[in-house]
Amino acid sequence: MRIGLLTEGGYPYVTGEARLWCDRLVRGLEQHAFDVFALSRSARQEEQGWIELPPQVHRVRTAPLWTAEDDGVVYGRRGRRRFAQHFGELATAICSAGDQADRFAYALYGLADLARDEGGLPVALRSELAVRTLERACRAPGALRTGRQARVPDLLAVAGLLERALRPLSLDWYEDADGCLGAVDLCHAASGGTAALPGLLAQHFSGVPLLVTEYGVPLRAHYLGVSGELSAPARALLASFHGRLATEVYRQATLVTPGNTHARRWQERCGADRAKLRTVYPGMAAARFADVGESGVLDDADTLVWVGRIEPAKDLIALLHAFAEVRKQEPGARLRIIGAPAEGPDAAAYLAHCRALAAQLFPDEADGAHAVGANPVSFDEIGGPEVSELADAYASGGIVVLSSVVEGFPISLVEAMFCGRATVSTDVGAVVEIIGGTGLVVPPRNPRALADSCVALLRDPERRARLGAAARARAMELFTVEQNIEAFRSIYLEIVSHCPVRRDAVDAAGAPLPFAHPAESHVPGRWAARAATAADVPSRVANGPNWGANRPSWGANRPSWVVNAADRVEPVELAEPVELAEPVGSGKAEA
Amino acid sequence: MNTNPAGGATTSDAPSTPLSPGAWDTRSDEALTEPVKAPGTPKASQASPASRAAGRRAGADPVKALMHRYQALCARAVDPLDIAAGLEAHGMTDRTAARFRHRDVFSLAEEMYARVPRDSAPQADAPSPASAGAPASAGSAASAALPGGWAALALVPGAVCALAVTLVPLTSGQARISAALVAALAVAGALRMVLRYGPLRAVGRTVPVTRLWVCWLLGYALLGDGLLRAALAGGAEGPWPTRPAAVLGLALAVGPAVWCARLFSAQAGRRLAVSRGLEDFAAAVWPLLIGVFLLFLAALTGLLLLTGHLLGDGAGAAGAGAGTGAGGAGGALAAAGALGALLLLARLLTVYGFPGIPAAVLGGACAAQALALAAAFAGHLPGCGFIAAPVDAAVRAWGAPVVPAVACGAAALALLAYAARTLTRASAHARPETTR
Repeated sequence: MRIGLLTEGGYPYVTGEARLWCDRLVRGLEQHAFDVFALSRSARQEEQGWIELPPQVHRVRTAPLWTAEDDGVVYGRRGRRRFAQHFGELATAICSAGDQADRFAYALYGLADLARDEGGLPVALRSELAVRTLERACRAPGALRTGRQARVPDLLAVAGLLERALRPLSLDWYEDADGCLGAVDLCHAASGGTAALPGLLAQHFSGVPLLVTEYGVPLRAHYLGVSGELSAPARALLASFHGRLATEVYRQATLVTPGNTHARRWQERCGADRAKLRTVYPGMAAARFADVGESGVLDDADTLVWVGRIEPAKDLIALLHAFAEVRKQEPGARLRIIGAPAEGPDAAAYLAHCRALAAQLFPDEADGAHAVGANPVSFDEIGGPEVSELADAYASGGIVVLSSVVEGFPISLVEAMFCGRATVSTDVGAVVEIIGGTGLVVPPRNPRALADSCVALLRDPERRARLGAAARARAMELFTVEQNIEAFRSIYLEIVSHCPVRRDAVDAAGAPLPFAHPAESHVPGRWAARAATAADVPSRVANGPNWGANRPSWGANRPSWVVNAADRVEPVELAEPVELAEPVGSGKAEA
Repeated sequence: MNTNPAGGATTSDAPSTPLSPGAWDTRSDEALTEPVKAPGTPKASQASPASRAAGRRAGADPVKALMHRYQALCARAVDPLDIAAGLEAHGMTDRTAARFRHRDVFSLAEEMYARVPRDSAPQADAPSPASAGAPASAGSAASAALPGGWAALALVPGAVCALAVTLVPLTSGQARISAALVAALAVAGALRMVLRYGPLRAVGRTVPVTRLWVCWLLGYALLGDGLLRAALAGGAEGPWPTRPAAVLGLALAVGPAVWCARLFSAQAGRRLAVSRGLEDFAAAVWPLLIGVFLLFLAALTGLLLLTGHLLGDGAGAAGAGAGTGAGGAGGALAAAGALGALLLLARLLTVYGFPGIPAAVLGGACAAQALALAAAFAGHLPGCGFIAAPVDAAVRAWGAPVVPAVACGAAALALLAYAARTLTRASAHARPETTR
């Protein structure tokens, strides 16, 4: 089966985002043929080249997002009218409040048709006509309150950024010929937003089913980063555009696979149908932690370990204060902080600050009067003399602590679970979802709760071992590369079996072959009746399939078959919590 | 996969390095001085300060306190999702939102967005700092990209041309032709440098044939009148009288042209930043365009008069023998002025992304001049005298410069009308973003 992998600033490029995941996916699913369609973000990214591609990648097509090609097409009267109509609809959809999904879709596909028929879209999107249309839409009654204040520079900036965002519309990827998106059986977008736009168009032009995987949320990233330097009206309009684009992507996608519950919540918020969502956790290489995880031997059972990149969001100061509390109750405890500072002077200053605080809070200690002392808190870097590789970092302690106040999907926690270590974490980001009852969770910014949990684990080796084993079992089930690949393997098969691309059969000369597909294959309806129907009307089931009684399963935006499968994707239910002792935050600080 | 905590939204709550000089802060004090709690009763000891703090700080409206903490975030938010993203970047989760009696961060953000005090009146009048400094305007973009010394660089073609005009007459015979060629190449090189690095740099599409038309037009300004007269008089032999004053004046006018282009882009950028709508902008820019154009015309006229006076152009014209002394000088001035205006407008339009029409109009002007010359030559063929009659009559009435004056003047007027329509569009003043 031929998969079209859509990336934006990602996979084949050396500096791409999520290239590791894509690489593992492509290598893991070697029975499929992959065509990679990559959008590059900058000239520098293109210069740095690709990573090595496995043989199952048959073709790589790239297109720059950072520059527009002027194809010299200037619309005639008809083209201009078509453009004005569709761009007007797009502008209205962007500038208006309320549900504009249908209008947005109509405008988007209208512009795509225009770009495919005549070209010239980049020039037209920057033309005076586009700016004027945008202005009119902003000033129309019912427009967004913030957008109404847009001035001329805002309109120009929005028109320019819209042109940039819509550049995939002008690509020549959407033919049915070999090597184009029309020829693949399934489009898999490695991220939402711009990367999924070619997938939307492939579905529009050729009916190719679309699968969207989102480990981050592009819309959220847009709010936080991209539009920082724009004025408020321009930001409002662009945020509206990206929100409506995300909605359209979720609406048209056959399945959407968020990487964690956080992404899933944003997708639901943007209008994704719950029935389409399947959480597929990112996979991590577990092999390098196998020795540590399976040995079960604890050398330094009284040592707490913190692993990560040192930056203010990790709140090491709270950790040090918590450790001071721990030392009062367990004087033999030690703390190892392992990691390098993040980039930037801020992080380096923070590390220096933490070192100073540790030196002030904890005086050096020695075994006897004639021994050289050492501080109970040590700072190491991976690759240093004490810790040669990552697995050693986790092996060097009995309890792994995570003290962040802000966190996304903390990889260090998953690694600690792979190593079979009991963990104490703050309740931030996806921590609860990852840990799922196999470790202790305390509220953030609460050193005393952190300390109490650590002490509880330090004093109870049996519980520690139990939690560690449970954590390792959970991680091996949910967060390995194999489960990730296996999940996508079955999702691919599921999509292709339920929503195959309907292509007209042609013979060797390219002439259409009539009657190549049997007529039955086009009959809408369910071949297998549902259990409920079987219970209600047993006689009909006995007589054969339920012809036409139900709505067609592939004609609708929301295929009915996914409804049945919705329940089993809840991550909480996948987990089998060995220890349900600590519900979040309870009993520790707020009781 | 990790969230970006920087987020653009800066509030006092963002995790950061403590600002106190030492590593010691109040929490450190507490950690050391506080008496050790009995390990058996941690819950009771913690519950009381927490509830006390909540009672003291939050009161009946915890969201209000939250809004105060994230004031900057709320103020710049454009929709509820914006606030939700910012809150999450500061570590807020659905479980934290439950403390504010909300189901999730989104509904909390919605309440916060709805409660942000909005006073739209002052915002509508004052241009926001972001839009005033937006890099969208051509003026600021051009000033960012301009190399130092562009203003002085614009004088180089004039200087080179002056040198050539001084030196070439000193040679004679075969050497003069070589010297003239070298001089022409030097002036062309200087002009190219100015057009490549100054405010007249064209970043977008250009039409290469424009160069040919410009060379023809300049060549005609130098030689054309003499050639036409010779053709009408009966033969094209011999060295025709040249008109170096016009070319020198035009070369010197490159300086004012560059300065005027800079003035136009800077002023247009300023008007762009303060315009409420596209109509406002167009209404504000077209007087600017006309003003800049007239300014350039005035400078060009002055320079042409000066060079004409210095090089004795009037004598040259009279020496050519048409017998229309004052009219010939005035005509020559008009022809050179029209050519200068035409070239400036064509270049301005190319710089702002409209190269097609200027190329066509320049080609038209060239064709008109070539047609006049061809007619003058064709008049000598047997039986074809009528072809040369209109040109002959016009030259007799107004002097030889009437041909370039009419051709370039008409073309310049056409381009002026086109420029008044296109250069007043806001989209002309938006720059395509530089590739990163």
